[in-house]
This record gives sequence, structure tokens and C-alpha cells, in this order.
Amino acid sequence: MLHSADVGTLLEVKSLRTEFVTRGGTVRAVDDVSWDVNEGETVALVGESGCGKSVSALSIMRLVAAPAGRIVGGQIVFRGKDLLKLSEEEMRRVRGRAIGMIFQEPMTSLNPVLTIGRQLTEGLEIHLGLSSTQARARATELLSMVGIPDSARRLRQYPHQFSGGMRQRMMIAMALACEPALILADEPTTALDVTIQAQILELMRDLSRRLGVAMLIITHNLGVVARYADRVNVMYAGKIIERGTARELYANPRHPYTLGLLRSVPRLDEARRARLDPITGQPPDLSRLPPGCAFAPRCAFRVERCTRETPPLRPIPGAGHVSACWEAEHLTVDPVHA
Amino acid sequence: MPDDVLLDVKNLVKHFDVGGGLFGGPRGIVRAVDGVSFTLRRGETLGLVGESGCGKTTTGRCILQLERPTSGQILFEGRELTTLDDTALRAVRRKIQVIFQDPYSSLNPRMTVGQIIAEPLGVHGIVPDRGRRAARVRELLSHVGLLPQHGHRYPHEMSGGQRQRVGIARALAMEPSLIVCDEPVSALDVSIQAQIINLLEDLQAEFGLTYLFIAHDLSVVRHISDRVAVMYLGRIVELADRKSLYDDPLHPYTRALLSAVPIPDPELEAQRERIVLRGEVPSPLNPPSGCVFHPRCPIAIDRCPTVVPELREVKPGHWAACILA
Repeated sequence: MLHSADVGTLLEVKSLRTEFVTRGGTVRAVDDVSWDVNEGETVALVGESGCGKSVSALSIMRLVAAPAGRIVGGQIVFRGKDLLKLSEEEMRRVRGRAIGMIFQEPMTSLNPVLTIGRQLTEGLEIHLGLSSTQARARATELLSMVGIPDSARRLRQYPHQFSGGMRQRMMIAMALACEPALILADEPTTALDVTIQAQILELMRDLSRRLGVAMLIITHNLGVVARYADRVNVMYAGKIIERGTARELYANPRHPYTLGLLRSVPRLDEARRARLDPITGQPPDLSRLPPGCAFAPRCAFRVERCTRETPPLRPIPGAGHVSACWEAEHLTVDPVHA
Repeated sequence: MPDDVLLDVKNLVKHFDVGGGLFGGPRGIVRAVDGVSFTLRRGETLGLVGESGCGKTTTGRCILQLERPTSGQILFEGRELTTLDDTALRAVRRKIQVIFQDPYSSLNPRMTVGQIIAEPLGVHGIVPDRGRRAARVRELLSHVGLLPQHGHRYPHEMSGGQRQRVGIARALAMEPSLIVCDEPVSALDVSIQAQIINLLEDLQAEFGLTYLFIAHDLSVVRHISDRVAVMYLGRIVELADRKSLYDDPLHPYTRALLSAVPIPDPELEAQRERIVLRGEVPSPLNPPSGCVFHPRCPIAIDRCPTVVPELREVKPGHWAACILA
């Protein structure tokens, strides 16, 4: 039910493949990946560095750095239109207008020599054709919406005069400026302190609910996702290896990697364990992936088949969600081979 | 056992002068560390937590003698470090090692892993004989879970987790008694963090190491620490054994920090009450009067802006700097 292209589907990524040419060979950063976001929904892409989550977001915006990187296959259907077929000019109207973006490090994505006010009004004038007076009024409104007080003075300031948390609020204001239908947030709170992180996440959730904006949150933090995502996609080595509603996936993980991630972090709500259960081995080298399942070399549930055949994403009986593991039906908290 | 104090930090203060430079900003003093006291017993792990700018790293750097404290005392094995001359300091430094957050920027990219670990063994004359030094490097590599052939690799040929293992081997080479771990896992992938934490615990048990574990991740700190100190704006606001601090936090800042930590369980998160603090950490250039936390404190009363709360023992072994605790 979750995957049917019902009325509510806003973005549908189909069999997306993005590659990078490196000295070590061609790297499939995103390898035949399909997922979707419904109107007003918050979806998470979770995974560790190099799993392809950020490249997925860049692919949607068609911002993958050429010539090394390119999208070699698939479709990105946004409101019925394949973004990969749009002209560069048409694509520019999508970026920042229909789809907003929030990045991890706001300082590097804000222009240091333009005032906050100018950076906010620029998009409003270009995309919405507002006059400078109208844009100014809207900018003031946006700043107060994201909880930046004293907006008249703040609009005259430069990014370096803002703290990290304030800059991220500013990024949210910019992303919301043209009333987009979807916001892509790539590690939006990773660079922030814990207490500020909580403020920003609560703000993002409130605004997305109030304005009906869908969100794609890209993160490595399973905790962040638990509170804010409706559905979760877990990525490993360029593929989605498990997907489900947040409640389902956390309560009943059906992929050894997801299980391993959940088991390896110490948790404040549990009694302290004498020892942590890490995932063994090292993250994969994408230019030298083994045949079969990319997680097999680190997997405690590995069987012979895993090193030969790549498991497809399939519904798991009794789990209500999908996993790409041959042994998904037989996972236990304590692996038999451990 | 409690008498076996390895490190005793007394009223440590570190101020930095800023401003008045090329662009003529106002002169000022950053009160990075403003009167911090704690002890470390031999073989224990003290967690030092707080948000960026709270002074936790500067505290570590003062202990490592990478910063000269403005005032205060640092007693290591009973000797006052701040007044030692260079020769004496060098001998003590061997005993206090550091593991950094980013192993990549703290390993020389032009040396092999073997050379990186061997260098201090020669410089400090720990293993003067070259042949034996190679054997010692192999031994150290195996202590941190690396293979002998890893010694021939360069840092860029290794993953983040392996590089952090090299950083740990280099620290171990000096046969230290104290290791300052400054965010040792926060740059690593989640699946690798647990490997490194387990390794640090194994090494502590094997070599009787004492750790000052500086981190912002409260779940990791709870796992690894025996006692925990929470810092805010250059001061310790709460200090207790692990269990008391996490089960019964007395300072409102500690409570807010704990409630902000996300838990990977949607059911639980949906019911959880979250204390979202107002505003942001004030500048240490111009800290608030009275209790430095009062502008953000959800339970502040009239007296808080005027009274500086002392770190006092509210319950046996549980210290808090709050007049309401």
C-alpha cells in the first residue's frame, strides 16, 4: 500500500542510478534505487558515510557534480513530471521554488558577502516576481516564522553575525520562502549542539505540519529519525536495504545491518550494557564491492547464497515492510553464528 | 582506593585575550574555563560533557600542557604541572597522552603507520634499539586490533576506524597512565563507534589506564564513564557518579541535555516530554551575571541572576551548582 502511486504521491524516484568516475574505477553511488514521498509526509534516508544518501538528494536536484558524477538511469517523477527530462532552465524553476533545500553546514551554503535580507529576498524576487518592498515584508515574516526575533535588524546583518543555530533557522526560512511542496534536508542538525538540535527539529516538524510541506530528512542518526520520520529508508553501499514505517522498522528490524545499527549504539532508555555489540569489519569500498550482498562480509547471519546473489528488496511475511535480505525471516537478536 | 588520586585539578582558569586586532574589534576576555575543579582516580573514566564552547576541550588541553592555565593547579601523581620546567615536563608528558577526534588530521600523511608509532618510541628513548622497536610496533598494532601488515600502509589508505586505532596505538606506545580522549568517536560512523569504545574499554582493563573522556554524546559518555562532569560556559555545573547523574540529574541544564538526546524508538519518543531550552549558549566573552545558566533556565527564580551558585555536595558524591538543587 505504501508504494502504490496513489493520489498522494509527491515524489517518486524510480530505479535511480548515479555513478562517479574515480581513479579506482566507476563507483555506483546510487545503484538502482526506488523510493517515494507522499504529500505532507516526512521520509528519512538513513545510512553511514558513502552509502549514497546525499548523492540521492543531489540527484533529485540534478546537482551531482559533472563530469565525474552523472545520473545514468532511472526517473525522478515530481508531481507527475520527470525531473531528469527538464531543461536546465525549467530545472532552475524547480530548485528553491517547488523543492527547497537545507544543508548540514549553513555557513558554507550562505553567501558571506550578502546580507541575510538580500539572500532571502533574492529568491522571492526571482521565483515569485515580488517587488523589493513586497519581498522585504515577506522576509520579515519568514524570519519571525522560524523564531528569529528582531527581524528588521537581523535582515541587515551578515551570516557571520549569526550563531550556528540562527544560521540553520535562516536556512529553513530560505527553504520555505517560496512555499515549496518538498524540502530536502541533508543532515540538518548534525553540526549543531544537542539543545539547539532539539529546537531546530521541533521547529521543522511544526512548520512542516502547519504548512503541509513534505520533508526528506537525510541523516546518519537513527534517534533523530525515530521522532520525526513517518517512513524510513535504510541505505547501505548505494542501495536501500530496508524500508518501512518508523514504528515498524524500529520495533521489528528485518535486515542485519539495521539490526546491527540499532544494537551498536548505547541508549539512555536502557540499562547500561557491559559491552556494546558493534558491527564487525569496515564500511565497504564502493569501487570494490563483493559479489552478492554488499553487507555479507560484515554480516553475522550470512549464508552461502549471500555471497553469490544480491538479495532484492521484498516484502517480509509478518513484518509489514520490505527488506533486502535472504535471511530476513530468520533474524534473531542474537545471531546464530556469533 | 578513593585516595589513589592520579590527577587533581584545582580551580583551573583559562582566559583568552581577544579583539583589538587589525579590524579593531573591542578588546575582551574569553572565559573559556572559569574555575574548574575535579579529581581523577587511577583506573577510572571521568566523562566531561557539554556543548561546543563550554570549555571541555580547553580543560583537556590545559591538562596536556598544550595551554598554560591563567591560574589554578594541575597535580599529576602529586606533582604540580603548571610550574615544571621543560625537561621535567617532557618526562611527565609521556605519562599523559591524547586521542583526538579526527585521526586523519593528527597523523602525518607522509609517514607509514609503522613509522608513526615507532617515532615516539625512539624520540623518548623508550625502545632505543631499532630491531626491537619494530617488534614493539607489531605488538602495539595487535593490541589495537590491527595486523602487522597495516604498519606498511599510509594513513590515507585506511578507513576512519582503522586510523583511530592507529591514533590509539601511538598513544599507547608511550605507556601512559592517563589518556585524554577528546571526542574520540564522534567523527566515526555509527557502526564503527562501538568497535572503538569496546577497544578503549579492553585497553583500560588490560593496562590499568585512566581516561578523561571528553564528548558531547551523552549516551556514549554514560556507557564508558564511571563518573561524569557536566560543563556549561566554562564551569562544572554537575558532577556525580554515572548512575546518580543519569538516574537523578539535579541541575536543570543536565536535565535539559538528557531530554534532548533522541532515542531510537518511535513509540517511546512519541510519549517523551522534551525540555526545549530557550535561546542559545551566551558568549563566554560576556557571560551572564549570577548563575550563568539563568537566562535559559526553565526553573530560574529571582535570586538566580544575582547569586553565583557554588558547586556543592547535594548528596554524597553528587555535586551540583544550582541554588534549587
